Amino acid sequence: MSRLHPFTLLAIAGSLPALAWILPAPAGGAWAAAVALVLTLTPGARPGFTSVFRTAVLTAAPFWLFLLLLHDVPTTVAIGLRITTMVASFVWLVATLEPARLVEAMVAAGWSASIAYLLAATLSAVPVLKARARRIVEAQRCRGLSPRGGIAARLRALRALALPLVLSALHEVDERALALETRGLVPGIRRTPLAPPPDPALEQATRWALLLGCLAALVWRFVLPRLT
Amino acid sequence: MKSLTLDRASFWYPATASPALRDLSLEVAQGEVVALVGALGAGASTLLLVAADLAPRVTGGRLTGAVTRRDRSGIVLPTPWTQLSGMAFTVWDEVAFGPANLGWPPHEIARQVDRALEQLELVSLASRDPATLSGGELQRVIIAAILAMDPGLVLFDEPAAELDAEGARTLWRLIRLLAREGKAVLLATSALDALADVADRIVWLEDGAVRAVGTPDLLADVALCDAGLGTSVATVWRAGGLPQPYPLTVAHALQRWR
Repeated sequence: MSRLHPFTLLAIAGSLPALAWILPAPAGGAWAAAVALVLTLTPGARPGFTSVFRTAVLTAAPFWLFLLLLHDVPTTVAIGLRITTMVASFVWLVATLEPARLVEAMVAAGWSASIAYLLAATLSAVPVLKARARRIVEAQRCRGLSPRGGIAARLRALRALALPLVLSALHEVDERALALETRGLVPGIRRTPLAPPPDPALEQATRWALLLGCLAALVWRFVLPRLT
Repeated sequence: MKSLTLDRASFWYPATASPALRDLSLEVAQGEVVALVGALGAGASTLLLVAADLAPRVTGGRLTGAVTRRDRSGIVLPTPWTQLSGMAFTVWDEVAFGPANLGWPPHEIARQVDRALEQLELVSLASRDPATLSGGELQRVIIAAILAMDPGLVLFDEPAAELDAEGARTLWRLIRLLAREGKAVLLATSALDALADVADRIVWLEDGAVRAVGTPDLLADVALCDAGLGTSVATVWRAGGLPQPYPLTVAHALQRWR
């Protein structure tokens, strides 16, 4: 899957949630969620991304809980499946799409390198933050703070993790801006694509099919009923 | 031909009352290696950021005075890991990131990247993932990445901090080579012993201002040694209570003994 053109991965990850919300609930949502969850089980995740399926399920689970508190069961199922599709698609996309390939693909397609980098940096933020959080937890452990124990102890540990994580992430933004300027990534540049990913005709056709499928679903669901 | 000219430049970081650079005037010519020495906080790194047109443009703050750059500059920051693009699978791609941003044609990018990798003795690492490199290797990759952009003015901030002795020797030779190619080099370093052979001029910074400018002999000057900025030989000579003038290098010390 990771060898697919980045635009194809984006199209799949975008069209599944769109179809989940457009198609009638709960069947549409169930179908889209099933496809998205199956995608999280396919091989090809980037290094460092393990248990993509589990991550997707664990991220979606709290939404089900909140929905159940707020709505009846049919509504919970309808919205929950749609949210699960969104979460699973996003988790799968982050785990599968190489930011560097996205930049190359976007630059080759004529996009601004700065915008491409901004999008790609969003995708790389998850592993970067995970690694930093791990380092901060290790550092806090060295200073005697245990992330285990009762709720109070865990809350203390969470505060000791969250504050440095947020502050260091903000500091990193400054550092990255400076560093990228030194590497020539300034607004308005025309970057030379080094190794643009191949974009076979079949994949281009698939992307168009996904787009047209979403449009057709929209028309079938919302336009046709008004005409008849 | 002057590559960089600062005329009475002062710089304030955002939300600070006192300037990091004060009324600083300096010229760096093509083919010249100028080394900045000074205590921590003397302003060497800030001066490099100003010379690279990163301060105040990116860092924020306020600059007064005139800064004239004749050539495109490239700066090697002291922490190489922050300068990684994060968008490369291999060392070759990492080094090519900058040249690609300059919009050069692919054959020119390949030529510059291969040349920089050779200069930094990185050819054997070309296909390695940058995330798996040691600190010293990473520092060499970043230096290669900056040189591959073919800057006319090369700015180094503690470039040998992560290098082993052999790596540092390669770097100092490379800096002399860059000067012979006509590039202007401005260098901030605490590796004072290397400067006798590397630098054409020494600029001593103190509290953001130029305290003294001279040939590398300045590093054996009494005032610099008193400030802890002399070469090892000069410092040992002084600590031994031996007479002035202090020798700059081991060779100078041997001449004095004989």
